[in-house]
Amino acid sequence: MAELSQEDQLRLHEFSVRYRAALAKKYPAPENSLDTVKDAVREQYEQEMDAKRSPTIEPPSPTPEREPDEPEP
Amino acid sequence: MDDLIKLVRTYRLTAGLAERIRLAEEICRMIQPDLRYFVFSSVPPQVAEDVMQEILKAVATGMKKFEGGTTKEFWAWCYSIARHKLNDHYREKAADRMQPMPPDDLWQIMELSAQDTPMSPATRHDLEYALKLLTASKPECNELLWRHYVTGLDYAEIAEERDLNYDTIRMKIGRCLDEAKSLVS
Repeated sequence: MAELSQEDQLRLHEFSVRYRAALAKKYPAPENSLDTVKDAVREQYEQEMDAKRSPTIEPPSPTPEREPDEPEP
Repeated sequence: MDDLIKLVRTYRLTAGLAERIRLAEEICRMIQPDLRYFVFSSVPPQVAEDVMQEILKAVATGMKKFEGGTTKEFWAWCYSIARHKLNDHYREKAADRMQPMPPDDLWQIMELSAQDTPMSPATRHDLEYALKLLTASKPECNELLWRHYVTGLDYAEIAEERDLNYDTIRMKIGRCLDEAKSLVS
C-alpha cells in the first residue's frame, strides 16, 4: 500500500491550509451568526427557572380506605 | 490551563442568564472557525449555514452536561455533535452530501487564498499536484482522500462517519492513494 512521501504530505498540508483560508474568505460567518445561540441559551435558562418555580407535584400516596365510624352508644 | 476549557468550566458553574449568554457567545466565537471549516467542507454552502447554527445551539445548550476536563475532550465532544448533526442532515436529505466539485471550481476557490498569501510559482505547482492527487480517482476515492487530507478527519472519525471499521477505512484510503498516485504520475 502506498505511503505518502514527505514532499507529498507537505503539498497536501499546504493545500488544506489554503483551502481553509479560501473557504473562510468565501463564506465568512454572518454578523448575527450567534443570535440563535443566545436565544437557545435564554430559552434553556427560562425552562430551568420554570422547572424550579413549579416543582412537579407528587401524586398523593394511596391511603387505605377508612373504616366507617362505630355508631355511638 | 487553556482559555477555552476555562470558559467551559466557568459556564457550567454559572447560574445567571447574562453571564451564561456572554460565556456561550465567547466560547462559540472560539470554536466557530474550525467547525465552519468542517461543515462547509462536508455539505453544500446553501445548507451549511443552517447545519452550523444547529451545531452551535447544541453545543451551547449541552455544555452544562459536558463532563470532560480538557480542551482536547471538549473539541472531541464538539466534533461528535457536529458529526451527529451532519448525519441527521444526510438522513433527511441524502442528496446534500457534498458532491465532488470539479477541479476548476476548486482551483477558483484556492485562488482566493492568494489574496492574503501570494502563491509563488513553486507553491502553485505543488498545489496543482495536490489537487490532481485529490481529484484524479473515482468519486468514492476522491471523497475519502478529501475527508482525510483536506477536512482533516482521522481513520477512526471517517470509520464512525461511514459506519465501517477502522481497518477497512485505513485500507480503502491506502488503496485510493495508490490509485491516485498511479493516475497522476
